Amino acid sequence: MKSFKVYDATELWQKETSLPSVPTFSQVLDNVLGSDGVQLGSITELLGLPGSGKTQLCLQLCASVQIPKELGGLNAEALYIDTNTNFTLSRFRDVNREILSASFLRCQKVLDEPLQISEDEALKRLHYVNAFGLESYCSLMHTLPKFIAEHPNVKLIAIDSIAYPFKDGISTKQRTGLLFRQMADLQRIALQNQIAVVITNEMSTRVGLSGGSVVGALGDAWAHRCNVRLLLSAPHTAQDPTHRLALLLKSNIASTAVATFQITSEGIRDVE
Amino acid sequence: MQKLKSQGIRHLSDGVLKILTQNRITTIYDFLEEDISKLSSLTRLNLPEILAIRSDIFEKYSAPLVNGTTLLTKVLINEKKITTGIKSLDAATCGGIPMGCITELCGLAESGKSQLSFQVAINCVKNTERTVLYVDTKGDFSAIRIQQILGSQNCSNKEMASIMYKIKVVYIWTMDELVELFRSIKNKTFVIENLALVIVDSLPCLMFQYLGDENKMGLSLLNTLVNYSRFVGNEFNIGIVYINIQTRWIDSDICEEEDNVQSSSALKEHSYVEKRNRCLGRYWEQIPALVLILEVLERVKETFSFTQIKVSVMCSNNVKCHKNECTINLSMCGIE
Repeated sequence: MKSFKVYDATELWQKETSLPSVPTFSQVLDNVLGSDGVQLGSITELLGLPGSGKTQLCLQLCASVQIPKELGGLNAEALYIDTNTNFTLSRFRDVNREILSASFLRCQKVLDEPLQISEDEALKRLHYVNAFGLESYCSLMHTLPKFIAEHPNVKLIAIDSIAYPFKDGISTKQRTGLLFRQMADLQRIALQNQIAVVITNEMSTRVGLSGGSVVGALGDAWAHRCNVRLLLSAPHTAQDPTHRLALLLKSNIASTAVATFQITSEGIRDVE
Repeated sequence: MQKLKSQGIRHLSDGVLKILTQNRITTIYDFLEEDISKLSSLTRLNLPEILAIRSDIFEKYSAPLVNGTTLLTKVLINEKKITTGIKSLDAATCGGIPMGCITELCGLAESGKSQLSFQVAINCVKNTERTVLYVDTKGDFSAIRIQQILGSQNCSNKEMASIMYKIKVVYIWTMDELVELFRSIKNKTFVIENLALVIVDSLPCLMFQYLGDENKMGLSLLNTLVNYSRFVGNEFNIGIVYINIQTRWIDSDICEEEDNVQSSSALKEHSYVEKRNRCLGRYWEQIPALVLILEVLERVKETFSFTQIKVSVMCSNNVKCHKNECTINLSMCGIE
């Protein structure tokens, strides 16, 4: 006989409030998310057209998760699952090094003492997987519990992007079934180990839909699955091409709101 | 299939049961199907004794007759509805969520289903002092949000704690687990004191895991779940709320000229029909006694402070509130 673990809301409240979030390094965006960043234990979906900053935000979070405990961070590791071949490892390293050193410089200013984390060490705390194609992606998701058990300090899993492996070779019904099974497993791990999951998704066009015909890919059922949905866009009207808008579509703690942030060579920052 | 048990049946001693089990007659159905003379020779009971066992089984397991007066007393004793604590919604549903029945909350993603269920959970505990069980299948429960809503209602810390203590959360990730949960509630191996309401957020998250499978596993589990839910609802007099989702289908409109004589031909080329589909399939359609459809109304310009949600009663066992609807406001302070 299986016994069910029952929590009451007071217990969960203590748990939820005692955990730090993964900061985006844009205070405006953190405020819009309502939880000072990306919440641990929940699945956050980043939507947007190409060039809207989804990958950049993922990379920033991968770096943010390494902030030492002294600064209110998690001092943790990140797993980056890349399903898209457009993205090469060397570029990943470049961007990440940039973001990392900048983030740590800023932290050092606050602390007024040098931090003992070298760049190499920081890179070691990033786990990168290139899962191209449906088979290798699914195998990866299957072995994920084992990976997490071996790396208990991983506090962020970024999947960039979720839509890519499912582009071909699978029927819609099978795709939904598979996705929901994988997400249930993923979220179980995320909740048990307090891991933040960030998933990027592409946009697709459905002609004739009420409320705009450009929607997130993978269908309406999928829209229901993620806990937090953030729509990113690069506005044409902005004077600065690095400015981005983020619209919070769905959240269980915050109401719909818009944040403006910018992508600099150092990563995600507030607009000055 | 029910197992054959010696309780309350004449001649069916443990010794006889053992012989039957050795001959692979374990369920009631096996016993009734078996040839009487064969049973007699196996168990060394005479024919009238076997027939007595059969008639005892029929008597014991047939549905009991209840007369109208008893039924009426039962209905009058039990509470019939749990108030949602939201005036307009209570009016539209003729009093709230029916006890002993299955209620469905349905809507597109981001239409406020989870938020409404948080509010209903809070109000239920507040008004009835009973416990609510929140079955979370996608990690959507947020205690911070519950505290936020309570805080905006000027609750003292003590009140807040006592209300939040009565909202119980259990995480469920597969259909098997959910069925097992309801089975345990039914068998009283999993007991929550003074339970008034079970909210399952959400059922499609579990059912969709079976999409694309060739077998009908999902459907059979859903059927079992429905049976257990109904039993549990009735037996313990609790309300059961399932959250379901809607999906959208786009059909290019195939000329309905008879209906739309006025529309110009230019318009016709671009007419698409959006159809909304309640998920979980045909079987589920008829299951809930009350279906509430949620729809976010178009945002009035510049009002980010609250969202208006239209709730319509789609099907209900209460004739009076059929096709009712109301509008509720969702803001940081919860739903009013």
